[in-house]
Amino acid sequence: MTDAPGPYREESLRQALATDPRVMEQELDVSIAGDRVVISGTVPTEDRRAAVTEVARERFPDLQVDNRTIVPTLPASGGEERVT
Amino acid sequence: MIRIAAAGDLHVGADSEGTLRPALMEIAEDADAFLLAGDLTKAGLEEEAHVLANEVEGIGVPMVAVLGNHDLHSDQADRVRGRLEDAGVVVLEGETHIVHLPGASLGVAGVRGFGGGFAGASATEFGEPEMKRFVRVTIDAASALRAGLDRLTTDVRVALLHYAPVRDTLHGEPPEIYPFLGSYLLAEAVDTAGCDLVLHGHAHRGTEWGITPGGVPVRNVAQPVIRRAFAVYTLDPEAAVARSGSSA
Repeated sequence: MTDAPGPYREESLRQALATDPRVMEQELDVSIAGDRVVISGTVPTEDRRAAVTEVARERFPDLQVDNRTIVPTLPASGGEERVT
Repeated sequence: MIRIAAAGDLHVGADSEGTLRPALMEIAEDADAFLLAGDLTKAGLEEEAHVLANEVEGIGVPMVAVLGNHDLHSDQADRVRGRLEDAGVVVLEGETHIVHLPGASLGVAGVRGFGGGFAGASATEFGEPEMKRFVRVTIDAASALRAGLDRLTTDVRVALLHYAPVRDTLHGEPPEIYPFLGSYLLAEAVDTAGCDLVLHGHAHRGTEWGITPGGVPVRNVAQPVIRRAFAVYTLDPEAAVARSGSSA
């Protein structure tokens, strides 16, 4: 029995991040290189950013988790666009 | 001028309390109405809708929403909808709503929409029952959207969706997932019935600006795209009426 090839492992984590109730973000990017998994994208809150790390560590306890997701600060409108 | 504030993909969870309200408390200074383009909650739970309701209640402008795929995840859509409506949010699914503003009327036709892809690379209602059901959902949504827009006789008409009607606003997303992000059938409905603006969400890695083949402006207002609590679009009711008359 050997580890699944990288793309399957990456996708398994991407699926977990999309469906785990702690995160549920479907548009996060996952890449695995060597002993490191890198996750990037945006999440709405700091709690969910922390949960991204938790889910990744649970799935891949043997890998270093590099959580590069960001929690954007959302200012109010910041101007308007005239459409018509 | 009618000023429309819009946002989608708020993904409100139990951890979101207080994250939106500070910006939304100023919305009445910037806009006449607030339109919400789905994925209002993280997992479609009633308690998440309760958090969102507390964020938006009493912000001082009419609010109209459609739900998104996240809002349907826990099979509590009726309770999500009910909690939002208790807070003054009109939630549409194949329905219309008219906002009467001083000097002009704003009509909103709202459907969640669904996937299927875009002209030249779209799913067809053929083959397995599962595939036919998938495509039929989008066909029915587009039909409801067209009927809703046809019913509206307001000065300005807006189509409010969750799924995308055009490819333009998906640029930045992997092309392989376009069929899961929207359908050309929604744009066809808009172009057939006529409309002044289309708002949608769902595509977090997309871009804000697009246009239908018939020339209707499309805006992807997913918060990760607009990078602010809400975007504001202004529309001139007289220009909208003139355009409607010339296309009749």
